[in-house]
Amino acid sequence: MEVITGILATAVLAGGVLALAALGEVLSERVGVFNLGVEGLMALGGVTGIIVGTLIPNAFLGLLAALVVGLAFGAVFALATVVFRANQVLCGLALTMLGTGLAATIGRSYSGMPAKAVFERVVVPYLSDLPIVGRAFFSQNILVYPIYILLPAAIYFILFRTRHGLNVRAVGENPAAADAAGVPVTLIRFCYVTIGAALGAGAGAYLTLAFVPSWSEGVVAGRGWIAVALVIFAGYRPFSAVLGALLFGVITAFGFVGQARNWPVTPAFLSMLPYLGTLAFMIVPVIVWGRQRRAAPAALGVPYFRDER
Amino acid sequence: MAARFIRVPVITAQRAFVARGVSFILALAVTALVLAATGFDPLALGAQILRKSFGSAFGLEDLGLLFAPLMLTGLAVAVTLRIGLWNIGAEGQFYIGAFVTTAIGLHVTGMPLAPMLVLLFVAGALGGMAWILIPALARAYGRVDEIITTLLLNFVALLLVYYVSTGPWRDRVTGVTAASGRVEYDVPDLHGTLHWGFVIALIAPILVSLLMRYTRWGYEVRISGANPDAAHYAGMPVKRHMVSVMLLSGAIAGIAGMLEIAGSVHRLQGGISNNFGYLGIMVAVLARGRPIAVIPAALLIAVLLNAGIILQTQGLKTSAVLAVTGLIMLFTAVGDQIAHYRLARSAAVLAPPVPAPLAARPATEGG
Repeated sequence: MEVITGILATAVLAGGVLALAALGEVLSERVGVFNLGVEGLMALGGVTGIIVGTLIPNAFLGLLAALVVGLAFGAVFALATVVFRANQVLCGLALTMLGTGLAATIGRSYSGMPAKAVFERVVVPYLSDLPIVGRAFFSQNILVYPIYILLPAAIYFILFRTRHGLNVRAVGENPAAADAAGVPVTLIRFCYVTIGAALGAGAGAYLTLAFVPSWSEGVVAGRGWIAVALVIFAGYRPFSAVLGALLFGVITAFGFVGQARNWPVTPAFLSMLPYLGTLAFMIVPVIVWGRQRRAAPAALGVPYFRDER
Repeated sequence: MAARFIRVPVITAQRAFVARGVSFILALAVTALVLAATGFDPLALGAQILRKSFGSAFGLEDLGLLFAPLMLTGLAVAVTLRIGLWNIGAEGQFYIGAFVTTAIGLHVTGMPLAPMLVLLFVAGALGGMAWILIPALARAYGRVDEIITTLLLNFVALLLVYYVSTGPWRDRVTGVTAASGRVEYDVPDLHGTLHWGFVIALIAPILVSLLMRYTRWGYEVRISGANPDAAHYAGMPVKRHMVSVMLLSGAIAGIAGMLEIAGSVHRLQGGISNNFGYLGIMVAVLARGRPIAVIPAALLIAVLLNAGIILQTQGLKTSAVLAVTGLIMLFTAVGDQIAHYRLARSAAVLAPPVPAPLAARPATEGG
């Protein structure tokens, strides 16, 4: 029993990183832009969070600063991919290298230090005493609730329940048709890609201010890539992405709990689980159904040139 | 008559080359500005880098030791670009090549050098191929995004290498920390510390280029990359070619790892790759996927990486090299697009195309 509670509690905490990054990627991919720079954005957000959180010992300001940095780098990425219509794979890889390298360079003097300000655990009275799920769901840091409930609900509502959302999805499916209908394709793409990037950087700050909580080179450890993969098998939908993130939280948690409880498996192999799990989730559905169950937005990865319509 | 930019769908190789050059220089200029703003003297640093890289035989040997693996990892990525795929996993395949070499080198001792080196070479190549096999099959037969699958395996390879080099294979003789025991087999030296692996790395792009240009396989791979549907309808086995190209790519990256262990480092350790796999992506992009062009592109990135290592003494981290590489890649991607635009002044260019018979009539009647 206690093991299950422990795994669930760690899963919710660890999954939050992936959930936030995946939600950002959903926004970007829904408008047709494949952002492979999440890994770099998370590194930048993580290091910004820790630096600001150390200078002004306040975790919320650290997160806010990370979001602002994410907006800035997201705007650069959007400028390259949406306005200049450069190759999205190339720009994404560039952003990953730039972000990872830059974060490691400026974060050197903060490496290994525990975060001065962290997102504290908030214990919900009564609910946290529930057996098994109480400690997992109602004794977490405050960010867990917006990440798992408010944000996906807001994104779902905007994308699938408003006229604006219909336009947004049209931009990702058929930008030429959207353009003809008077939807500002470039503007919508630019805004959603930039906001998505900010969420990616926010996920990095969550990582260094709530989950680990400290900064070191390589702390992101491929979570950005797992988030990108997550979006694919979540079928580009916000709630599925969050549930998928929770599932990966569980896989990650097995690694931690296994180490803590001295399971007879080498920790290095437990640490491989999230990567191998992601690989399995990308390949198994294809073997079973012959393809991913839900198709990508039709214009994903394709720059839109009005003059070549 | 207003001037405006129009997009040209196809540009000349020359124009693309100029765009690349300008992008590269602009990215370096931004780097120099950032360095200047943070209290460094970019010109002095640049002079120091050039002097230390090219000014002495030792400097050139060090550069060569970075140049060789970058040619191989760059080539590994470039061949996949030929068929329209991305191998982002050269880093992992490099690690596995090094891992397999160390595994054999540590456990099969006292054998004659020449056959052992051949064995290690083949084993390194096979290791790299094994590491890319699943992403290759999944991409070819299941359309599973190869960028993410190849990349994820990098982390698995890294964890594996960290584990064995600090665990079961750790050095018990000399007290070197976080590294495996020493692999005794050594690739013969060419000049100073530079070993014959450099020659292999230099021949590889030429060999692949000949394969691509003069064999049926190479022809079909190029067609499959340029237009998969056309290749398919012409009866070419596009999927099988995807797998064979990716296996070739994995083998090349694995060989790079093998040469790094048997040629210069001799010990398996966490940081052994120097980001060669990721920097190889930049090399392949700069080379526009052309095997021969990998050679000058790798030299460019080798100087950059060497600069990072030299500048460590100035308090800069080698991770800065990765950041600068990212910046160059971003500028390159944008530059490639900007090269497609040219300024059109005459109204005639902008006029909608008119069917030829209609266009001809006013000229004869109205004249």
